[in-house]
Amino acid sequence: MELKLPNPYDFSLTRISRNREKLMEEVIAETISQFNKEKQKGGLIRDELAKTLYLERARIKTEPWKVDPEDDFQFWGHVKNKLAKSDPNIEGKEVAIDIEQQLLKDIVTRYVHEITGNFNPRFFLFARQILPMIFSRLLNASFGKISGIFKPKVLLKDRLFVTGPLEKLRKLREIGTLILVPTHFSNLDSIMVGYGMDMVGLGAFQYGAGLNLFNSKLFSFFMSNLGPYKLDRRKKNSIYLETLKTYSRTTILHGAPTLFFPGGTRSRAGNIEKSLKLGLLGTVIEAQRIQFEKNPNNLAKKLFIVPITTSYHFVLEASSLMEENLKKTGKEQYIVNEKPISGFKLFTTFFSALFGESSEITLSMGEPMDVFGNICNEEGESFDKFNRPIDISKYFESKGKMKPDDQRESQYTAMLGDTLVEKFYQNNVVYSSHTVAFVAFELLKKKFKKEDIYSLLRLPEEDLQIPYNEFLASMRNITTELFNLNNNNKLKLAFHMTKEVDEIITHGIKNVGMYHAKKPIYKTKDGFISSEDLKLLLYYHNRLEGYGLSKFI
Amino acid sequence: MDSQNSSKKPPIGVIGAGSFGTAIANLLAENGEVILFSRRKEVVDRILKEKRNVGQIMHPHVHPTDDIEELCKKCFLIFPSIPSDSFRQVMKVASPYLRPDHILIHCTKGFDIKLEEGVSLIDKKLKLKPADIRTMSQVILEETIVKRVGCLSGPNLSKEIADGQPAATVIGSHFDEVIREGQQAIRSKRFQAYGSHDMISVELGGVLKNSMAVAAGMVGGMGYGQNSMSFLISRGLSEIVRLGKALGAQPEAFLGLAGIGDLIATCTSPLSRNYTVGYRLAKGENLQQIMESSTEIAEGIRTVNICKKLSETLDIRLPIIEITYEILYNEMPIAEGLKFLMEYRKGHDIDFMG
Repeated sequence: MELKLPNPYDFSLTRISRNREKLMEEVIAETISQFNKEKQKGGLIRDELAKTLYLERARIKTEPWKVDPEDDFQFWGHVKNKLAKSDPNIEGKEVAIDIEQQLLKDIVTRYVHEITGNFNPRFFLFARQILPMIFSRLLNASFGKISGIFKPKVLLKDRLFVTGPLEKLRKLREIGTLILVPTHFSNLDSIMVGYGMDMVGLGAFQYGAGLNLFNSKLFSFFMSNLGPYKLDRRKKNSIYLETLKTYSRTTILHGAPTLFFPGGTRSRAGNIEKSLKLGLLGTVIEAQRIQFEKNPNNLAKKLFIVPITTSYHFVLEASSLMEENLKKTGKEQYIVNEKPISGFKLFTTFFSALFGESSEITLSMGEPMDVFGNICNEEGESFDKFNRPIDISKYFESKGKMKPDDQRESQYTAMLGDTLVEKFYQNNVVYSSHTVAFVAFELLKKKFKKEDIYSLLRLPEEDLQIPYNEFLASMRNITTELFNLNNNNKLKLAFHMTKEVDEIITHGIKNVGMYHAKKPIYKTKDGFISSEDLKLLLYYHNRLEGYGLSKFI
Repeated sequence: MDSQNSSKKPPIGVIGAGSFGTAIANLLAENGEVILFSRRKEVVDRILKEKRNVGQIMHPHVHPTDDIEELCKKCFLIFPSIPSDSFRQVMKVASPYLRPDHILIHCTKGFDIKLEEGVSLIDKKLKLKPADIRTMSQVILEETIVKRVGCLSGPNLSKEIADGQPAATVIGSHFDEVIREGQQAIRSKRFQAYGSHDMISVELGGVLKNSMAVAAGMVGGMGYGQNSMSFLISRGLSEIVRLGKALGAQPEAFLGLAGIGDLIATCTSPLSRNYTVGYRLAKGENLQQIMESSTEIAEGIRTVNICKKLSETLDIRLPIIEITYEILYNEMPIAEGLKFLMEYRKGHDIDFMG
């Protein structure tokens, strides 16, 4: 039966966007109040303003972007003049405080206008229809013959698999707020997750898109109306960070379904994230506590955390990401020699490759949890690890009274981070491509065990020969172990992993190498397994790190 | 005014009425009401009747019970003080009654071992990995839904606390709130409580020193003086730090009360149970005789075994622990053990802080 997709005019993002002005006012007031609470006591507002001014002027000078407002320089010049004229020793304390508060308000207001996203349901409906058409177009082009756009042979939904407790999630989105936390491998993750979620009837999600992405007019036009708020990683001053956190917390409190990439940036080495950036995740815990404070007697709306592990056969940016990683970890032992791939090219190449071959993407959604990592049922009730009902609001209480405690909540956030990492590993859908890359690299590592990783990566291609029988034997061991892990709920296996090992090898080699100019893994004419690009092989190998599989090689 | 406030305060719970649990209960009772749990009804009845337990006079604010549900219901702050080998079991019993708003600060200086069925810790061939061991805070997190967890550890010999002598301890927790609540509950004119966010290091300091205390007892029992004892304590510290580091502790943490502080107390006091085991061995008794005649478990015997096995897996040389193990479990004569130690190749004095 065809799934009836929810109407974007009913989305909470639509409601929030309609009241955009009011939301912004709320965020401004709340940020200022929070900032004053933390800094006014020690008379630190002036210091913070001065620090922010310094950092912002440095940003304008050293790292200007196209997307930056034209009056950036003037604005910060104005802040500088005002601040200089408000020396408490000359103007008096009261005048100085007034000016400081006005400047704080000006800065926060500027940031809020920059950050706040927009969601246009009409545009969303348009995108919902137009996106599959664009995808189909790309698909047909990649088949080499352009047929009518209304008669696609393969649809995106044949390539993009969303797995998990979807029925439960559809129910929970009606009674609470969904917070998606996916792993991050590619710049295309947000588009994939965004499209995938709507495809399975979970509606739209707001997410923080890097401000740099808005440098591209195409992206800006396309995405600006689909709900992302803007994140500027250049701005590390405390006023900006406080504004961003308040924005995130306030929109969540208003019921905005949200998507966070807790890894912060894309995985540099192809592995599943182990350490998460907890800043914005912390706003989820805070928002849940405020919900409980404002709505006692079980009337509080709950936030449901949904971990998602994305699986790709190939990541277009793999090569440049890995270069960056090796450069960072290896320092002078590693020399970079490739240019990163550009945004638009990334987009088109990716889709041609995706449709051109029998590739696939999986968004593996985990069981929805409350902010303490307890699994929730369809009614949104939490059950602890012993399957007993649990009232999580009590985690915010001390001796029977609910009261905020930032330090306590930062610990809860760290604990939630640990739970998410565990779930990322459990929900990871292992592909043939990950498996062949893992086995091949491990065999080479074993063969050259005296070499460190950097010397290994420098070995000439002719040395990288693995006899097929040896490779097959290790593949058998690893697939057996993968099945054991799958049976123990430690990971998941893609459907194609149930094939014979020979077929898995063929499938894996074909898929992992389909896009890259140099093949990370291939079979030579005389029957050896080899690699044209070891660092890519290492990147795909890393996907299976952390399961203790090396000992089965 | 104070007494009015204290009557409104919820009582503090102590789980385990051994000598340390009893001493802690009496200390806490100086600041408010305390509920003390013992699994054994006869212990509860005896405390009620005689107002004494394990040689200590009970403070009138201490109310004994064998009903764990009642304790959990009435108390927000609970101090479990149970031997490490039954800690998990007791937490399982308490688990259904523990709530998300509970704070647990344990006082147990020992490891929990997770072994496969049929495998015994005594097995000499057993290979023990760091993943097989748990500290008590980890057991609490595994067996209950409580998240606000801490530990109390330091040079705290039960008898001296019971005698009202001044002393200090460390409350380790990731949560400021746990440290604060613990300090408020236990601080008094004669008992100081410091805080630390490095909970794992505080726990490890308390556990690992037990093995040194057994060795120190042997030195004492042999009649050796302070030169020998200082030799043992400082080289013992080096072994503790090296093993602690491998298990995730920060070396600096061992310089505090819960590290060197506890080590000095336990290695120099005949009141320490672990010291007594070593002392009696040096005086000619064997391990079985000592264990049979002791009313309470000396954690050190078990800790030596665990540390020795861990050091093998982790490939860390710990000569004092190895020799103590040989003496305890393989009947090596103490004199021979000492000879081995004196002939052990020389190393640098401070080689463990980096």
